[in-house]
Amino acid sequence: MDLAILYVKKFYKIIRGEVLVLPSRISVGLFFLVLIGLPLITRDPYIIRIIILTSIFAILAASWDLLSGFTGQMNFGHALFFGVGAYASALLNVHAHIPPWGSVPLGALAAVMAGLIVGIPCLRLKHTYLALTTLAFPIILLGIIFALPDWTGGELGISGLTRFTSSLLGNYYLHIITMLVLCTIMWKITDSNTGLIFHAIREDELAVKTAGINTTRYKLLAFCLSGFFAGIAGGLYAHYMRIAGPSTLEVSMSFTVVIWAIFGGAATIYGPVAAVFILFPLLEFVRFWPEYRTLIFAFIVLFTLLYMPEGLIPWVRDKIEKECPRCKIRNVSTRKTCRICTAGLD
Amino acid sequence: MKKFTFGWSVLLAACLIMIICLPVWGQTIKIGVIGPMNFVQGKGHWNGAVMAAEEINAQGGVNVGKQKMKIELVKADSNEFINVTDAANAMERLMTQDKVDFVVGGFRTEAVLAMQDIAMDYKKIFIGCGASDIELCSRVAKDYNRYKYFFRGTPFHNGYLVRTSFAHLATGGAAIKKELNVPVRVAIVAEKAAWAEPMVAAAQAVIPKMGMELAGIWRPSAVATDVTSELSAIQKSGANLIFTIFSSSVGITFARQAGELKVPALQVGINVEAQKDGFWEATKGMGNYVFTMETYIRGVEVNKLTKPFVETYFKRFKETPTYTADTYIAIKHYLVPSIEATGTLDADKIVAHLENRVFEVPSGTDKFEKDAQGQPTHDLTWGPGYQTSLGGQWQDGKIVGVWPNKWKATPTSPEVTFNGMVPIKLPPWMKK
Amino acid sequence: MNIIISGLIMGSMLALLGIGFSLIFGVARIVNIAHTAFYMLAAYFIYQLSIKLGLNPILGMLIAVTTVTLLGLLVYKFLIDPIREHEGAVLIATIALAMVFQEGVLLSFTGDYLTVDFLIDGFFTIGGVKVFYQQLLTFGMVLLAMAVLWFLLMKTKLGLAIRSMAEDREIANLMGMNESRLAMITLGISVALAGFTGAVLAPLTVLNPYMWMEPLIMMMAVVVLGGLGSIKGSVVAAFILGFAEAAVVFLIPQGAFLKGSVALTIMILVLLMRPEGLFGIVFEEER
Repeated sequence: MDLAILYVKKFYKIIRGEVLVLPSRISVGLFFLVLIGLPLITRDPYIIRIIILTSIFAILAASWDLLSGFTGQMNFGHALFFGVGAYASALLNVHAHIPPWGSVPLGALAAVMAGLIVGIPCLRLKHTYLALTTLAFPIILLGIIFALPDWTGGELGISGLTRFTSSLLGNYYLHIITMLVLCTIMWKITDSNTGLIFHAIREDELAVKTAGINTTRYKLLAFCLSGFFAGIAGGLYAHYMRIAGPSTLEVSMSFTVVIWAIFGGAATIYGPVAAVFILFPLLEFVRFWPEYRTLIFAFIVLFTLLYMPEGLIPWVRDKIEKECPRCKIRNVSTRKTCRICTAGLD
Repeated sequence: MKKFTFGWSVLLAACLIMIICLPVWGQTIKIGVIGPMNFVQGKGHWNGAVMAAEEINAQGGVNVGKQKMKIELVKADSNEFINVTDAANAMERLMTQDKVDFVVGGFRTEAVLAMQDIAMDYKKIFIGCGASDIELCSRVAKDYNRYKYFFRGTPFHNGYLVRTSFAHLATGGAAIKKELNVPVRVAIVAEKAAWAEPMVAAAQAVIPKMGMELAGIWRPSAVATDVTSELSAIQKSGANLIFTIFSSSVGITFARQAGELKVPALQVGINVEAQKDGFWEATKGMGNYVFTMETYIRGVEVNKLTKPFVETYFKRFKETPTYTADTYIAIKHYLVPSIEATGTLDADKIVAHLENRVFEVPSGTDKFEKDAQGQPTHDLTWGPGYQTSLGGQWQDGKIVGVWPNKWKATPTSPEVTFNGMVPIKLPPWMKK
Repeated sequence: MNIIISGLIMGSMLALLGIGFSLIFGVARIVNIAHTAFYMLAAYFIYQLSIKLGLNPILGMLIAVTTVTLLGLLVYKFLIDPIREHEGAVLIATIALAMVFQEGVLLSFTGDYLTVDFLIDGFFTIGGVKVFYQQLLTFGMVLLAMAVLWFLLMKTKLGLAIRSMAEDREIANLMGMNESRLAMITLGISVALAGFTGAVLAPLTVLNPYMWMEPLIMMMAVVVLGGLGSIKGSVVAAFILGFAEAAVVFLIPQGAFLKGSVALTIMILVLLMRPEGLFGIVFEEER
């Protein structure tokens, strides 16, 4: 009993000392709570559906960020991983009758393979060469899919997939929790030593090499990790929509992912997630003006960038928080002194 | 500046309130119209539905039991050519936000399959008016209890499309044989698309049996903008009849460049772009003599309903209806009579009533099929006396009906000729 | 023979687009996704001017190219220049820009397929292949444009500036070149080239609001294959890919739809052997 109280106290202390002191951490906490508690407020299937799709795409955008934002390996063909994940789990589900619990992870493994296949040749390419080359891969795969209609259903795609569960709330929690867990994992990865090396590769690959680190191996790792998470997103999408079609591989899909991630702020993980949660529902919200939907979307992206070229979330964060010049700890911008080392904040 | 923003928001709020309050005025039947509203197909969906709703509401509405109910349409832009996720979301929105009773529309098969699943989740009747793939209806037979709420509105499935096309091919071949007295060589040119696959396979098998030679098969991309290379190869192969299977912009490119290059062959088959009134302008007149399958042609009467529909539509929207405008049929001839007969909006009862009906519509007579095991597929029956569609040829600036003209489905069956047919013409450059 | 003619025409289009894209990348390091959207805009302007307003088509083309160039400069000044430092932001700003153009066209011209008149009707036969006069004209105009561009780049002071900026930005900057002004001028040339391609190609193609997507990918393939920033490379690569596409259409007619995939595969194979493209400049590690 005492032990329990001790843990509760410790937990409370952590919350008070580490979470409640920073608005960004409060909002992340609120985000978790609101998502988990949402069904208490509304169970409107339309809203639930939008949030489920949003969280699937949030995984996708975060996985792009893991690869391109952190290691700087611009991937313009992220739809490839998404599509491979979707098609692989659809094939396994429809033809081999593997339930979604099995087919989604297997589909993700297929996407890891795709990550390797794309990653190895792309290791020799840099910067824009890499970006424009990766753009080609989903298009080539699309050609193969159209060439083998017996296997892939051609432009119809593979339909008739089973869902994880038929219950509304079951689906909701499944997708939300998967999203929250996967994004936390991705965030943890970027916060670890591996993430540090990813970051360093982007800043100065030569310097990392000089430090005796095998950058090739780390870049491949980034491709595989990113492929894995994007593949899960693809598998979830296919099972939720009950169809895996060529639209998952289109160029516009690749572009949309890049837009989300950079709009939210690259190399942050939470930026792209937040961006998807803003932009995707926004696109639904402007349905009252159907002719101008895409136009409004494009203008919002354009003008946001004009004022916040680093991305929306880093901009907001810089407004509400300050970094202590001495100990590099973040503080609320209303504070005059640092909460740890009491150095003056200007 | 601030004042303006305030004024606008008040106005906006007022508008919103009005929109929300409108449906409360009277009980209505809500019908969702879903389609790619920025494109011709979606405009067809919407126009057809509007015309049906206006006609019915002008007569006071629909008799549901003892009540008179008006029809209220809900427009949903599926954006399905660009984004399939969007299409599914639009459908979900119709189901749960707008709470419609029925849905008509849909075009791109990948999107319609996704939308179909959602409509079935909510057990709402969905009448597909655009996608031709057979899969949509085989699902009904496979899992009747789940998919029974789906009906095919238009067009009939691709197996039947190809049958009509072969009849057209025979007509074209006969004309070539008669006028030029040479053996008929057929080049198959089909855009690379899933719906065309079974048609190409069938054509390969059937053309030799029809007493024609096969000159080759070409598969340009559906959005190819240059087919001169294909055309040169076709001319080299000595083909004098080109079997076209096009649903996209390549139909314009092909017809225009073939006309421009005066390729000595008659184009027969399906060319969706050629079904539109703008085809002549789009090909700069080079699409002359193109023969395509068509649903409505001004001046051709399938039955007594055709003329009033086509002419009213033309007057109202300044264009000939294309097949997606069959949302008119879906509302006026599918839904309304069944609602009135059962006296309810209950989907199960309407399905049970609708699937057994045989009824005249402006494009023919509709009867729903059963598969070999006797399971209803909710697919349309093809054949003389039911749905056959038309064959139209562009002759000097307008499309005229050339088929069925003394057509026999089998050697023993009676001849079919619709009112308003004219003889088929060969391009003058075919005669040396 | 067929392959040669189709390949030449296809290749020259890609070359013009590729050069423009390559130029602006070389000088300003801008990956301009909206490049082909300018090409689309020019085609639509011509449609509006010559079909709707009944203007002389050649006059229409001139006006269209000028308008598009001005539009490009304005867009650069107000939307791209302020965020030049942020590579990612520029990238998606150009994507968003392309979307804006696409939607604008969709709203004003609907999604219907439109076509523009040929300048000269008719065709001639060469080696059993029929060729439109229009195709010949287009090909000639493309060669002319390339010649003018070659003169501009190789024989004038401006050209020297552009080339040296593409070769090494930092040194060029140190030598006292006005990077921002040069970027502006280059962007003008680049957009004008895109507009010009749209103008000469419009009669040979079918206009729709999504027509910028397809050449975009092939154009990027051309630029990467040829080596970023290399004009010679873009031209050579454009013809390689043009011929590859034509060969696919003729040798495997049933697989004509695969032409894009085959061309892109060639690109990837070449890049595996030469990561900087055929004639690419090996950039020093830019820090």
